Amino acid sequence: MQIDESWPSDWLRAVLPLSVLAVVAEEETYGYAVAQRLREAGLGAVKGGTLYPVLNRLEEDGLMRSSWREGAGGPGRKFFTVTAAGRAELAGRTTAWHLFTGRATALLPSLEDSR
Amino acid sequence: MITDLDTYRRDLILALRVRDVPGDRIGEIVAEVESHVADTGEDPHEAFGPAREYAATTTGLARSRWGWTDLAVAVAAGAAGWLLAGGLLGLVSGTSLGPLRPWAAVALGLAVAAPTVVHLRRTTSAVRDPRTGRDMAPFPRWAPWLLGGLLALPVAVAAVVLVAFS
Repeated sequence: MQIDESWPSDWLRAVLPLSVLAVVAEEETYGYAVAQRLREAGLGAVKGGTLYPVLNRLEEDGLMRSSWREGAGGPGRKFFTVTAAGRAELAGRTTAWHLFTGRATALLPSLEDSR
Repeated sequence: MITDLDTYRRDLILALRVRDVPGDRIGEIVAEVESHVADTGEDPHEAFGPAREYAATTTGLARSRWGWTDLAVAVAAGAAGWLLAGGLLGLVSGTSLGPLRPWAAVALGLAVAAPTVVHLRRTTSAVRDPRTGRDMAPFPRWAPWLLGGLLALPVAVAAVVLVAFS
């Protein structure tokens, strides 16, 4: 299948906040590393113009906090960590997401039928 | 590449300024763009889209419209300038500005100018770089001289003319 890496943009918009929260919950990280992680996970290339507003929104909502730190020889980077509220949100949303996608999947024709 | 980033950064600061975004927030957004572009080597235009659109999507704000406060500031600045120029000219030439004595016009001009300048300074916070704490869009060193010169020029020309013809 060649639909990989070019997901409909509204799918990405829906899943991005939760995915970004999950990536930052794995370990403290910064913007570009989050983008790389999402790409490795097979979600495709997320542009900076899409990613940073999501990161800032999550921070505004109190789910993450950030601090600027000097890179080795390079420019400073903004590192994000998940707050306690962020972990709680991630746990709750993950449960809801599985339920939601499970129900949506049950509604779709099976893979054999759609071939 | 460097010039691309400089242009983008300038456009982005301007686009955020006209949306009345606080200086610290502007610094944060610009630093994110610079840091990302430095990590990826991407073109900022390519990675973040046109500066004006990014400013709109990332803040959710539209360009701020002119309000009554802006009008009041403009009128106050105009009145203060007129009173100061007329008063100073009066002091040089010895004539008075309508019913006002020259020194009274200067005093009134200063009284109007002072709160106007204070208000402008308070509402335009500096664009602070979160990485260094430095001002990202500093007022050029020559700007106060140019502004001062522009204000002083008509007064100086008028004084020369008055002295030459008297």
